[in-house]
Amino acid sequence: MAYKPQYGPGQSVPAANRRKQMDPSRKLAKLRDVSDKDLVLVMGHRAPGSAYPSAHPPLSEQQEPACPIRKIVTPTDGAKAGDRVRYIQFSDSMYNAPCQPYQRSYLEAYRFRGIDPGTLSGRQIVECRERDLEKYAKELVGTELFDTALTGIRGCTVHGHSLRLDENGMMFDMLQRAVIDKKSGVVKIVKDQVGVPLDAEVKLGKAMDAKWLKANTTMFHSVSGVGFRDDPEYVEYIQRIHSLRTKYGFMPKEA
Amino acid sequence: MTEATFPQCRVDSERFMNPETTERLLNQIISVPGVRRMVLNGPRLPATVPYGPSKGIANPHPMRKTIRVGDQEMELQVHVGTVLLELENRDIIPALKAAIEPVFRDFSFHIKEGRFMKTEPSLVDFCKYGPDADKEIIGLADPNSRSKPIIIQGTK
Repeated sequence: MAYKPQYGPGQSVPAANRRKQMDPSRKLAKLRDVSDKDLVLVMGHRAPGSAYPSAHPPLSEQQEPACPIRKIVTPTDGAKAGDRVRYIQFSDSMYNAPCQPYQRSYLEAYRFRGIDPGTLSGRQIVECRERDLEKYAKELVGTELFDTALTGIRGCTVHGHSLRLDENGMMFDMLQRAVIDKKSGVVKIVKDQVGVPLDAEVKLGKAMDAKWLKANTTMFHSVSGVGFRDDPEYVEYIQRIHSLRTKYGFMPKEA
Repeated sequence: MTEATFPQCRVDSERFMNPETTERLLNQIISVPGVRRMVLNGPRLPATVPYGPSKGIANPHPMRKTIRVGDQEMELQVHVGTVLLELENRDIIPALKAAIEPVFRDFSFHIKEGRFMKTEPSLVDFCKYGPDADKEIIGLADPNSRSKPIIIQGTK
């Protein structure tokens, strides 16, 4: 049966953006250049340039158990090398951030392999092998999924998603990992994910303007963007899912 | 704790305020005679990282600065977004509004009359702070905190 995925319901701008981000056949628009070294610095899992700490002796020399799944699934680069599992975590402001936690997990599941996403109300963490993580993080930070002011790379003390923005337009961060230069408007990261000051600041570029954010957000927000209730198709879909989940224990049968 | 007889109001801004804006706002507020007490509300900006893998290390933050209000210096401990005020009478609210309007040029604010400070200690307050807690502070800030209220002289 020919099956064409729909990715999601809705006729509003955020709904269309959600579908665009989830569709793996569409390349995400690149907005900024982030070097490998900068990404490694910001994540703080290893020193830039150092070797990946991997399984020893190498997996190829180890006796792996006979397992049919190992024969079916091609391992990712990180899994093949026996890398450690590491993470990157994002907070997204509800004021028209380009991505949001549930959306992140959906699109990562469509676009990436060998990942373990964890979704929470205001933050989303993705865990995978270190080598793969750096590849995926580059896409998550360098493309339209990221805004320097409204998205935070935060391993801990993530609070900020539902708070007012500050006067400079930045999302609240108790550890202030990203600082905006008022004159040039360039956002610099000065601490790693968990709040340890970096030796060298990482420049991420200017924050996107309000017009771009409104046109590219996946967040419904009735005050600063499109309200969820303004998209009846989305409401209908969510109500249907809610109703079926509620009735699930009673073996629902659709009419 | 506060006496229920005094009117109160709350100033909410659309954005969290930078220390310079907070300083300007507070100085405008104290320029109006009749403000008994102020409480600055907002998310906390601790001096050291309170939890997580880097717990205990210094937390330099550009929004935690020392500001000068009237004749007093004070270190901001929160990123101010809301200011609660206790007034001597409600007649000064229009003057207060007129005084703080020029501070908010780039974003909006609301000033609202209501009851925002506790008037009675709750059972939870009793359990947390004990019977000898400073009743002046309960419901406004943590009585166990070593920081004391700042008294601004010469506003009358």
